Amino acid sequence: MTNYWIQLYINRNSTTSVGAEENLNAILKKYFPGDFQLEIIDIQEHPDKAEEAGILAIPTLIRKWPQPEVRLIGALTVQTRVLAGLGIANVDHLLKQKEE
Amino acid sequence: MSIPKLQTGIDAFDLISEGGLPVGRTTLLAGSSGSAKTLFGAQFLAMGILKFNQKGVFVTFEEQVEDIRNDLKGFGWDIDQWESEGKWTFIDASPKEEDVITIGEFDLSAFRIRLERAITKNNAQRVVIDSIGSIFTHFPEHNIIRQEMSKVTMTLRRLKATALITTERTEEYGSISRYGVEEFLADNVMILRNVLTNERRRRTIEILKFRGSNHVKGENPFTIVPHHAIVIVPISAMKLTQHASNLRVSSGVPELDQMCGGGFFKGSIILVSGATGAGKTLLAANFINGAKEKKERSLLLAFEESKEQIFRNAQGWGQDLEQLEADGFLKVVSTYPEVSSLEDHLISIQELIKEFKPDRIALDSISALTRNPSEKGFQEFVVALTNFLKHEGITTLFTATTHMLTGGASITEGDIATITDTIILLRYVELTGEMQRSITVLKMRGSRHDASIRRILIDAEGMQIGQPITGISGLLSHTPIVA
Repeated sequence: MTNYWIQLYINRNSTTSVGAEENLNAILKKYFPGDFQLEIIDIQEHPDKAEEAGILAIPTLIRKWPQPEVRLIGALTVQTRVLAGLGIANVDHLLKQKEE
Repeated sequence: MSIPKLQTGIDAFDLISEGGLPVGRTTLLAGSSGSAKTLFGAQFLAMGILKFNQKGVFVTFEEQVEDIRNDLKGFGWDIDQWESEGKWTFIDASPKEEDVITIGEFDLSAFRIRLERAITKNNAQRVVIDSIGSIFTHFPEHNIIRQEMSKVTMTLRRLKATALITTERTEEYGSISRYGVEEFLADNVMILRNVLTNERRRRTIEILKFRGSNHVKGENPFTIVPHHAIVIVPISAMKLTQHASNLRVSSGVPELDQMCGGGFFKGSIILVSGATGAGKTLLAANFINGAKEKKERSLLLAFEESKEQIFRNAQGWGQDLEQLEADGFLKVVSTYPEVSSLEDHLISIQELIKEFKPDRIALDSISALTRNPSEKGFQEFVVALTNFLKHEGITTLFTATTHMLTGGASITEGDIATITDTIILLRYVELTGEMQRSITVLKMRGSRHDASIRRILIDAEGMQIGQPITGISGLLSHTPIVA
């Protein structure tokens, strides 16, 4: 079972969206080895999903699981803030686990 | 060339805006909190659906969708039904409980895509965004928001939607809006105000500008009534187009008819001014009773006495108003002036008239209505009311109370004298050590009249007008002199 369920709403036409995707992938690769489920949703292709989730700003990241839901808006440029937003309090601890 | 307008369906608004909102454009609607911005927006959509079968999109950045649906039920608008028929679409952008953290740059393209989709799906022509100020409180990055909202207005323009965007103001008479929204929404601006004057709320709407198009300038008072929502009193848009009638109607007192050269003109406004006890209410009762002959209908608006009091007094003057009411020729509405604002009084009087369709109206007294409001509000009320009455062709008698027992005019009369067609003075005069009542026709527009001051007697038969008082001058100026 995955510990994290993350959705990223993007707009392929926007540079900030592309940046956010890259930034998120880098963070996930470094801190979440395998135990997450990531959905990338392009609002141009799926406007219904944007409507349903009530998305206004692009890019928007939603941590669907664990509860409660958390929303991060923007290009996710500051790694430590993204981790804090996702609820990863102790980064060092995670890294240590990875090494073991 | 003037930009074409989209009729909103909000009656008086279409009058003051000379046709409605600029079609295919966005109009900024600014107002302090509680100034009825959301209601105006909702009414714009509701009227589109009800009157023109035009579909609408309502974007809420502030209130929860469920609250809006419930609030609007009070006006008889079934939003749920319209939603299921695709006539009304909500875009819910109201604040939710989840935490939102901003990290880095973003844009509002998701909002624009949702908006475009909602508009094109049902081919909506009307869009309301309520309110733009709330977006600025959602997102602290104001530069981005300003840039993004200006893109939103471009999207609206491309889709040829006629849109209203509401925004907050902090002061009633200050900068147009918070966050400088007007910098990118400057073409069409309207302001709603809710000002406290003399312990009463006075609501007004002002069209500040419609670029490239005409509209009425200045503030127009409005009120909010159940089932009608916002009702505007279009003071500055009124035109003097009523035609004057040559038909005469009886005042109910034969001698007074003679003094007026054959009676009052049909559809004219008559002002009866007098001190307390000088016979004003009696004259009003006579006027009502005078409608009986021709089987006309009368409406008596009483702001000083109850219906029972009036009926009892009229009985004493030999007039059976109770019977007149029972026969359906009379309707008496007795209210305290303080129960509502002048705008509300005006609207309810108009409703009464539309319902009962009277031929004549007596309003006793107009002075009672000056007890509360600001001077400007009162003048607007009188102008709007007389304008309406003249359009309807209703002969109307206002009574006004003077504070002094003898002598000249009072303040109330000064305000309204110019818009009345006939002025009748009821005055006490001191004659040879006795207080006597007198009557004189001061003004009778469009007719010869008897200018003499006559003695009046009030007895069980009502008002008896006697011979002119001759041989004495200065009767109305406190110092009668025997000639």
